[in-house]
Amino acid sequence: MLSRSAERLYWLARYLERTENIARLVNVHMNLLMDLPKGVEMGWRQLISINASEQEFYKKNNVATERNVTRFLLADQTYPGSLFSSLTAARENIRTSRELLPDEAWEQVNEMYLFAKNNLETVANRRQRVIFLNEILKGCQRFTGLLSGYMSHNHPYSFIRLGRNIERADMTSRILDLASLLLSESRSDEVRQYETILWMNILKALNALLMYRQQKHNRVNGDDVLNFLLQDTNLPRSVICCISEISTCINKLPNSHVLPAKVNELEAYVKSIDSENTTQIQLRGILDDLQNKLGSLHNQIADNWFLISTPE
Amino acid sequence: MKSIWKNYKTDIAYDELMHSEFQSRPVSHRLCQYLDSLKKEDIDKRKIAAELAIMEMGISFTVYSDEGNIDRAWPFDIIPRIIAATEWKIIEKGLKQRLTALNCFISDVYGEQAFLKDGKMPSEIITSSKNFRKECIGMKPKHNVWANICGTDLVRDKDGIMYVLEDNLRVPSGVSYMLENRVITKRVFPELLQDIDILPIDDYPTHLHDMLTSIAPKQDGLITCAVLTPGIYNSAYFEHAYLAQQIGAQLVEGNDLVVNDDNCVYMKTIEGLERVDVIYRRIDDDFLDPEVFRKDSTLGVPGLMRAWKAGNVALANAPGAGVADDKVVYAYVPEMIRYFLNEEPILPNVPTYLCSNKDDFDYVLEHLAELVVKPANESGGYGMLVGPHATAKEVESFRQIIKKDPRNYIAQPTLSISTAPTLCKGKLEPRHIDLRPFILQGENTFVTAGGLTRVALRKGSLVVNSSQGGGSKDTWIINMEDS
Repeated sequence: MLSRSAERLYWLARYLERTENIARLVNVHMNLLMDLPKGVEMGWRQLISINASEQEFYKKNNVATERNVTRFLLADQTYPGSLFSSLTAARENIRTSRELLPDEAWEQVNEMYLFAKNNLETVANRRQRVIFLNEILKGCQRFTGLLSGYMSHNHPYSFIRLGRNIERADMTSRILDLASLLLSESRSDEVRQYETILWMNILKALNALLMYRQQKHNRVNGDDVLNFLLQDTNLPRSVICCISEISTCINKLPNSHVLPAKVNELEAYVKSIDSENTTQIQLRGILDDLQNKLGSLHNQIADNWFLISTPE
Repeated sequence: MKSIWKNYKTDIAYDELMHSEFQSRPVSHRLCQYLDSLKKEDIDKRKIAAELAIMEMGISFTVYSDEGNIDRAWPFDIIPRIIAATEWKIIEKGLKQRLTALNCFISDVYGEQAFLKDGKMPSEIITSSKNFRKECIGMKPKHNVWANICGTDLVRDKDGIMYVLEDNLRVPSGVSYMLENRVITKRVFPELLQDIDILPIDDYPTHLHDMLTSIAPKQDGLITCAVLTPGIYNSAYFEHAYLAQQIGAQLVEGNDLVVNDDNCVYMKTIEGLERVDVIYRRIDDDFLDPEVFRKDSTLGVPGLMRAWKAGNVALANAPGAGVADDKVVYAYVPEMIRYFLNEEPILPNVPTYLCSNKDDFDYVLEHLAELVVKPANESGGYGMLVGPHATAKEVESFRQIIKKDPRNYIAQPTLSISTAPTLCKGKLEPRHIDLRPFILQGENTFVTAGGLTRVALRKGSLVVNSSQGGGSKDTWIINMEDS
């Protein structure tokens, strides 16, 4: 398999996962704001800051209103981190890798792209935005299902899984970031009262509420959610589960060199996080650290498979 | 005859399917009977079905613009163009003869130059050709074949004779559309294809693969082939991906390949470097190797020429083969056939005036308004003058262009190229067409059964290039013993 093809499929999966996750993030934030009573201080700015894009956002906008933030995150074609930019990039990657994927895969992504393109304006309206986001979530799920049903579990498939799980682990950590950010910044006790609602919405963002209840037999509380989303070995969107998927893929691929050892290190690191005895500030540090470690894992994957060094 | 034929005109030019509004030619009897058995709505439905299939299958060509690259759906006319197998046998023989002679000529140009020394062609034509690559002098590609893949454009004039318009020996495109056109026709007219004895065309990828492996430097073990594409912004990217998939080759870009100190070519794969034996390159000579040709080329592979000259990789077509893809050289092909093969040409050339030749030059300037003038080295129908369709001002400005650079212009009489019925807004109307068969030459020679019929969809237009509003038709070579 060509290194360039491997890279394109890896990014195809990352961009599609990112598309899905941005949709989840905006969805959950809307729900959260609807649940909280009026007057509770909680806004849209945090969505920008967990993606580390304040600078870019404030270049184009003065205030972080719902309208500005959702337009920026969903529809801004000049912001490379937006949902539409991610989907466009995913489509471009699949368009140039069609010889490796089932025909329906291209058709599915193309269809979703055309839908998004034709409905970009509707995201300004809250009700229509809900419909838009649902369509995107469904489309992403269809793509994943299609590949799992149609595609051989070959090298190309492993690169898709690899990209998807790196992106997913990263986004789960960012969604946890959002929670800790909301909690640490709120000075009033009023927000604290609504902490449970906050954590429930975090679980919902990752489709994990039902699974949480089955697993924990307990009312929703911060420590348990954190533990569940970081370390539960059965939940597909938990960080540890993503890392174990990454590990499986890496071990299936040829010439993995130092990578299996690096993934083991990362796995040990996540297992060692003590979710019960961390303050919000410490937690934010841990999550930052985790994101950096995922970033360097990505660089190692790229060095290993995408940039085959050529002897001069 | 039904209303779709109403006022069908056959007096514009030779019509491939019809004698007159009311009478079909023998080759098209069955087709016309069948079309008459359909209701008008049925025909519209088939047309829509064809368009849908093209969208679904993603058959496209890319148009690059400021707003990004746009994939346009391939314009296709559902009414096929038909040629009798008896006629085709002769054309096929003529095409093989022609490419064999052209390859002898290219070998000679980079070797003995006997053709020039014997005064069959002025040597300035070669020395002044921008497609003559001195780096290739002394090279001997396998089987002495330089142009392995050739697309020869044929047109039929009002006298009913097929003429060769040009030989595309650099990177001819269109074969994937020829193959896909048949797939669509099978979907749209399944009943008809069962009834009529049409020669199949879908063996082309097999022959392409055989030809490519036949030119590999090594003949044992697994031979690795790659299709080298300039990338996704190239208008023929769809075709490059399609052919790679069909022949089981890797689709590579310049950056995917590297030439090492051992002068061998390798692909960069996830398992490390993997040796490549044959490259079907879809990049022009100019961009092939920045070490030798254009230094600013980012599409090519540095060192590719070294590897080729060392005999470690085969390139199809060989670098330098384009020297014979020149409209001035074209004029000498009949002479090449006589000289190298000791045969008479089976397919005629269109009479050609070379502006570099004093007598021809005077004639051309005198008759500019009646002639078609073409630059020697362009493709895609660019930069030409169609005298009878041009304004007096255009003719005058072309006169100045020719005077400045006579070597680079040729002129031909304006042919009345043949027409075929084409579905236009629910009615059949005659539109001008040409034909591009594809010829493969390696150890053996192979000609596609038919080729790509291109059609000028605009009324009265003679330009069939897809970049300029042309479309295409399926091409049927049929056995008529039973009819």
